[in-house]
Amino acid sequence: MTGFLLRRLAASLLLLLLVLTLTFFILRLIPGDPIRLFEGQRLTLEQQQRLKRIYGLDRPLLEQYGVWLSSVALRADWGTSLSQQRPVSAALMDALPATAVLASAALGVEYAAALLLGVAAARRRRTAVDHGIRVGSLLLYSQPPFWLGLMAILLFSYVWPILPAGHMHSVDSDLLSPAGRLLDLLRHLLLPALVMGLATAGGTARFVRANLLEVMGQDYIRAARAKGLSELRVVWVHGMRNAAVPLIQLFSLSLPALLSGSLIIEVVFSWPGLGQLTFNAILARDYPLILGATALSAVLVVAGNLLADLLHALVDPRARDA
Amino acid sequence: MLKKLRILRAASLALLLTAGLLASCRARDEQPGAAPAAAKSEVPRRGGTAVTGWVAEPGGVNELIVPSSQVTNELLFRIYGHLMEEQADFEEHPPTLKPQLAKSWEFSDGHKTLTFHLREDAVWSDGVPITAEDVRWTWQAQTNPDIAWDSTDQKRWITDVEVVDPHTVRMHFSRVYAKQILDANEGVILPKHAWEKLPFSRWRQSNDWFKAHLVSDGPFTIGSWKPGQEVVLQRNERYYEKGLPYLDRVVMRLVPDQASFPTQLANGELDFAPQLTPGDAPRVKANPQLEVIPVWFNLYVGVVWNNDNRLFSDPEVRRALTLGIDRQTIVETLLGSYGRMAISPILTMVWAHDKSIEPWPYDPAEARRILAAKGWRDTNGDGVLERDGKPFAFELLSNAGNQTRADATVMIQDQLKKVGIRAEPLQVEFNTLLTKTTDGTFEAAIMGYSLDTSLDISTNFHSRWIKDGSNNSRYRNPEMDRLLDTAASQPDMLAERPYLDQIQRILHRDQPLTLLWESQRLSGKNKRLRNVKPTHNWSFFNLKEWWIEPRG
Repeated sequence: MTGFLLRRLAASLLLLLLVLTLTFFILRLIPGDPIRLFEGQRLTLEQQQRLKRIYGLDRPLLEQYGVWLSSVALRADWGTSLSQQRPVSAALMDALPATAVLASAALGVEYAAALLLGVAAARRRRTAVDHGIRVGSLLLYSQPPFWLGLMAILLFSYVWPILPAGHMHSVDSDLLSPAGRLLDLLRHLLLPALVMGLATAGGTARFVRANLLEVMGQDYIRAARAKGLSELRVVWVHGMRNAAVPLIQLFSLSLPALLSGSLIIEVVFSWPGLGQLTFNAILARDYPLILGATALSAVLVVAGNLLADLLHALVDPRARDA
Repeated sequence: MLKKLRILRAASLALLLTAGLLASCRARDEQPGAAPAAAKSEVPRRGGTAVTGWVAEPGGVNELIVPSSQVTNELLFRIYGHLMEEQADFEEHPPTLKPQLAKSWEFSDGHKTLTFHLREDAVWSDGVPITAEDVRWTWQAQTNPDIAWDSTDQKRWITDVEVVDPHTVRMHFSRVYAKQILDANEGVILPKHAWEKLPFSRWRQSNDWFKAHLVSDGPFTIGSWKPGQEVVLQRNERYYEKGLPYLDRVVMRLVPDQASFPTQLANGELDFAPQLTPGDAPRVKANPQLEVIPVWFNLYVGVVWNNDNRLFSDPEVRRALTLGIDRQTIVETLLGSYGRMAISPILTMVWAHDKSIEPWPYDPAEARRILAAKGWRDTNGDGVLERDGKPFAFELLSNAGNQTRADATVMIQDQLKKVGIRAEPLQVEFNTLLTKTTDGTFEAAIMGYSLDTSLDISTNFHSRWIKDGSNNSRYRNPEMDRLLDTAASQPDMLAERPYLDQIQRILHRDQPLTLLWESQRLSGKNKRLRNVKPTHNWSFFNLKEWWIEPRG
């Protein structure tokens, strides 16, 4: 198992390096000079050159890459954000908790809804319930998340104003008790998490249904039924245990998708997370911050894959030798 | 199925109860005991919090290192003072200046020395007096190459800032020119005692350090800053204008999606939104709790022709293009009553606007005649003019995300088609547009330009600014260069007037760009929020005089 883990870890690090290197060079091919972008239009050429020198942008590209890579590798220093004039790590750390909260909640919504709907559809195969869930989930899955977000705001913040249209907390939430602050957070979290979770739940529900149907036809399920176990136990304990193996892979792989999916949702709901930070960094051609955000995303992808491999190896020993 | 429905119903009930409970625990600290009856009057009421929404977050608290942006300057100019406060009274004359940190000032030495007498009662928020040393040190920081402030160019004629005594400071100029006093006033005064601990060479990497060591002198100071969420301004109890500001706090919340403003105003999450779209204004107006404040914006929008391109190098051809574009219809269609046709880069509302200039009419027949005289003919009958075998066709760029400008490109395409010109609208990302227009690798583009009260349009039309990138049309005219330089070297702004008139007439004749529209900035606010008077460039101009009625 240790050898397996080390092999996977080494491959992951290589992949990370490759992603960051490609991002570093591809970024420079995109039109847009960060100095002119964030310092306005009235800079003289001399001022532009001076600022480039200050931020190290006047050096040859390969040298910039070397300096950046060594500072990341040797000092874990991700550099200074060009648009925020503060360490990239500080900017990322400020935004990470908000995204983590939103992504976790959305993931919870997605899998809770997907399991409930997927199992219900599988158990009532080819009935109206099954058709209804399949069509409904397809409909949900085909809606762009930003549109769902805007409709949710229109419905629950404007027509029927019971929930805030955006932000992570109310003005003055700092004055509330810890329990009050938590409730305030939940109140703000509800709409974005539901929109983000439900937007993807449709696809996952169909996946759950298909897997469960395949498993439910197996001999050991018939044996479990023959033993007189309750249908609930047969489905959720015996059926789902095996149907969940591919779901583990899907779950792990959906981690990075959540990060990119949060980009639009964070903008629509004024949620102060990594999505918004990355979006603004790209607009501002803030190279160090984009690289930092990309690294974080790449780490999530790699970690997600690694986690999937590990869990798969734990469940299925044959995978360790793969 | 029934079980699932029951679960859903229970969840919905719990959700509603929670939402109701939470809605009731929203708190705004309005002064307890304030009489509601009194609040209905026009007598300003002290206390309360106003929540405002912004599409971007302020960049930081140090003006010299943060990127200049509208929201950043709105914040900075309310937490720091200038020597003088420029007023928005520029319709009939150059803007007047009101004392701020300086109580008076006078020129001497043949207008080459400007002496400021500072207020004795002004102190920083930590109680330390504001002195001439702060003014001198601020100038040293503003001109330090390691800091590379983006407005340092405006200090290039100031050779020294001399401390005469703690409350008297003298600025020495190397020459006499019209905007001396505006240049002297450029930039807020910074706290030497608090910030000199950090060497200038480390400023560009230390935005957070300045937030942590914030000392301010404006009507507000910063109570809290949650990155990506909000900045809370709170009353500076040591502000020298006693009794001001009225509000206890002003919250600047980040609302990245401009489309959310009407909803957040309507449900009470925001009290003020500085910039609504014309499309959202009717919805806000229709709400009896809300109102829209329109203010003419210091921005003009036009089609920039790349004068280096063979299609647009001839002023007469550019004039024909202007004649072929129905600007009045474009403005009426896209902006309705919130816009008007632009005639000169010196905007209609400005004192120096040349009212004698008549806008070029929409005259496609005359446009065709000019083009024919220049050798443009439709030789192959495809509806597009040609010369030397090449069609009169070009890409018309606009920045993606700006629907008004994108719509304008389509209208222009349709109008120019009738003249025999093929314009192909193309939306590109803003940074790409900026790069193309800066480098000159474009044909035509719809761009917007802001005009400050110094009326310095040389960055857009002086040939010196082609290589530096901001003369996007790449307009070259020695006469224009001379007039711009002569105007800038006058002893005061009023003396610039004859030159500015000539400049406007030449631009009208040469049409380096076809001006399309001037527009209004539409602020939305709750009617509880009173005495809100935005100006052409600042939503927060009189923030210290805003006040708010209690809810209900």
